[in-house]
Amino acid sequence: MELAWYALLGLFFATYLVLGGYDYGVGLLLARRGPAPGSRTTLTALGPFFLGNEVWLVAAVGILFGAFPRLEGELLAGLYPAVLAALTGVVLVTAGVQLRSRPAAATARARWDRLVVVGCVLAALGWGAVLAGLLQGVPLGADGHVVGAGHLATPFVAAAGLALLALVAVHGATFLTLRLPAAEAPALARLATGLVPAALVAVASATVLGLLSDRVRAAVARPAVAVLLPLALVAALLTARAALRRGRAGTAFAATATALALPAPLIGAALWPRILVSTTDPAASLTVAEAAASRPTLALLGWLALPLVPALLGFQAMCWWVFRGRIDGRAPVYW
Amino acid sequence: MDPLLLARLQFATTTSIHFLFVAVTLGLVTLLVGLQTAGYLTGKPAYERLTRFWGQLYVINYVLGIATGIVMEFQFGLNWSGLSRYVGNVFGAPLAIETLVAFFLESTFLGMWIFGWHRLRRGVHLALLWGVAVTAYASAFWIMVANAWLQNPVGYEVRDGVAHLTDFGALLTNPTFGMAFGHVISASLVTGGLLMAAVSAWHLLRRTTDYALFRTSLRLGLVTAALAVTTLQGFGFAQFGPVGQLQPTKFGGGPDRDALVADWTARFGPGDWEPPVLSDVGLGFMILIGFTLGAVWLLLPLLWRDWIIRLKAPLWLILLGLPLPFVAMLLGWIAREVGRQPWAAYGLLPTAQAVSPVSPGLMLTSLIGFSLLLGALAVTNWMLLARHAARGAHDPALGRPPAPDTDAHHQPVFV
Ligand code: HEM
Repeated sequence: MELAWYALLGLFFATYLVLGGYDYGVGLLLARRGPAPGSRTTLTALGPFFLGNEVWLVAAVGILFGAFPRLEGELLAGLYPAVLAALTGVVLVTAGVQLRSRPAAATARARWDRLVVVGCVLAALGWGAVLAGLLQGVPLGADGHVVGAGHLATPFVAAAGLALLALVAVHGATFLTLRLPAAEAPALARLATGLVPAALVAVASATVLGLLSDRVRAAVARPAVAVLLPLALVAALLTARAALRRGRAGTAFAATATALALPAPLIGAALWPRILVSTTDPAASLTVAEAAASRPTLALLGWLALPLVPALLGFQAMCWWVFRGRIDGRAPVYW
Repeated sequence: MDPLLLARLQFATTTSIHFLFVAVTLGLVTLLVGLQTAGYLTGKPAYERLTRFWGQLYVINYVLGIATGIVMEFQFGLNWSGLSRYVGNVFGAPLAIETLVAFFLESTFLGMWIFGWHRLRRGVHLALLWGVAVTAYASAFWIMVANAWLQNPVGYEVRDGVAHLTDFGALLTNPTFGMAFGHVISASLVTGGLLMAAVSAWHLLRRTTDYALFRTSLRLGLVTAALAVTTLQGFGFAQFGPVGQLQPTKFGGGPDRDALVADWTARFGPGDWEPPVLSDVGLGFMILIGFTLGAVWLLLPLLWRDWIIRLKAPLWLILLGLPLPFVAMLLGWIAREVGRQPWAAYGLLPTAQAVSPVSPGLMLTSLIGFSLLLGALAVTNWMLLARHAARGAHDPALGRPPAPDTDAHHQPVFV
């Protein structure tokens, strides 16, 4: 039962990183100066999907609270600064994207664009830091509380934040290659391929710093799975680059989406059966089973989730289907 | 500084801002459903224009509802890890259900509704708005179930210091839930109705174009506000019964209170077991405003032959009255939540035990940072709302037929 809920939690968070990931990647690209495509066209690419993307995060945290209450408290409070950064970013992006086109003046719109860029940077760095914080463990005391926040200040956390930022940028550019009018695609594909080396370097440095970190080595229960993560990321990035060069935007997007989907499940698997590993007192580590809500709660939520999850997926799929394909001059513009 | 105080201040700030926006969301979406359905059934273009104008205001307002809502959700874990630790098994369930059943679908539907104009079949487009409204109500329902549980914990047993769920049905039949839910929904409808009436009144006073359109929405808003203010008062008074019985320390004294305080002192040790007086103050002023708003009924006869518009003074009154429901809602929440102190879950988990063991510095950073951020966003949002409300209904961006985009430095990519 716990495993099923853990898998569902992983599914929702991973989907958030994939869908929210391209939102943030697209948002980052608003920072580019120069000619086409304009900010508004860029945001029109997100269009109807934007509101449906962020809800995966909200739902993931809802599952975290309902099915893993102890984990939710210790995880969020224990990684406070990282969560704070991510949350600030999420709020800025949400408000920025939806409000930027409401003022009519170009200067006001440009100011909102800058806020969106800042938000995207913060969100990507923040979630990268949260994932790294899980991998390197937290100073969890015998009383079950995480002490202090200084444990996050490591090179590995910084590198992982940057790696996620770079991944998200590649992902966003690939999404635009797939979604904007065909005339735009070659330029965007060049942009995306140009970002790939940066992402490779970022992933490589996070990997090296992770391998060098005693804390990461101690926390990871399955080194093979942990090492698989960077290898898979590199493979996905190279696949995306090759596909972009051949003009296969769909394949490239599948590859970058895979890259963003992988961290959550692989980190979960690498730490299993623990989730919050204590760096100070191994006995105090929190396992998934301990973190889970008690039986009656899981059973209740389970009966609910059984019909609900397919419905949620169905309505999201409806949205993707209705608004599929490249945008053109007739695409509704609102953001 | 005391992390407990900081965490409470942050909760109060975020919740207040959140509620100012979600009440409008809930009220307006109900009216929008009416407008779009009327348009669908009658085929009159006037209704489509009304839907686009009020829909645009609704969508702008919605942004802050989400932004603050996300912060609220994270705040439980960030600042109140004790809540998830000791009572998460029970309290977490309705919140999880809310995110999955309500919020997830609400946003998904709304995204399709905003971009579905001129693209989806009219019936499907209307169904999406119904979906948005139903899930918005479901959201309020589950949040109030969760809040009612904190007011009066039921359906659980404590093992090893942790609450476990025994009877989920008890959460739904909780006496602190039903009337409060009705009260909150009514309050949102009063707010939405009065907002609609006030914006319309402004246009009618300024004699802008679209007289007929704003006349319709003035009437719709006013009638809604009047009907809802009556149920608001009814549900409000109906709350005194359960609250007095189940939370005797909340408002005023009596032997029940003394007995409960003696019981808590015996079980949890001596302490200040009574809520700050702020709670009573909130209650008193809210009720005052509640009676004042009842005067909306006096305006209804003036709808006859448009006297309300011709006399002008009633329109000014409506404009002046607009802040009242917002103030009353904050006061109501102060009454309910401050009155619950010093408990996070009444009689079960003291607030001091629920707060996260986070350093005061971090907590202060988060308090200041989020208050400034959300406060600034709220003010900006209201300015945008005011500007769009004033601009009138001739061409809202929402539902505008497709056309090339409007960015100044935009290159023509669609030729
Ligand atoms: C005759 C008028 C009113 C009466 C008798 C009344 C009564 C009450 C009572 C007894 C509570 C419960 C407090 C608790 O549970 O501890 C409450 C709460 C509340 N009131 Fe009022 N109220 C009135 C008017 C208003 C108005 C005009 C508004 C806003 C438009 C409002 C908004 C609220 C809200 C948001 C709450 C908190 C949630 C809840 O308990 O429902 N009330 N009110």
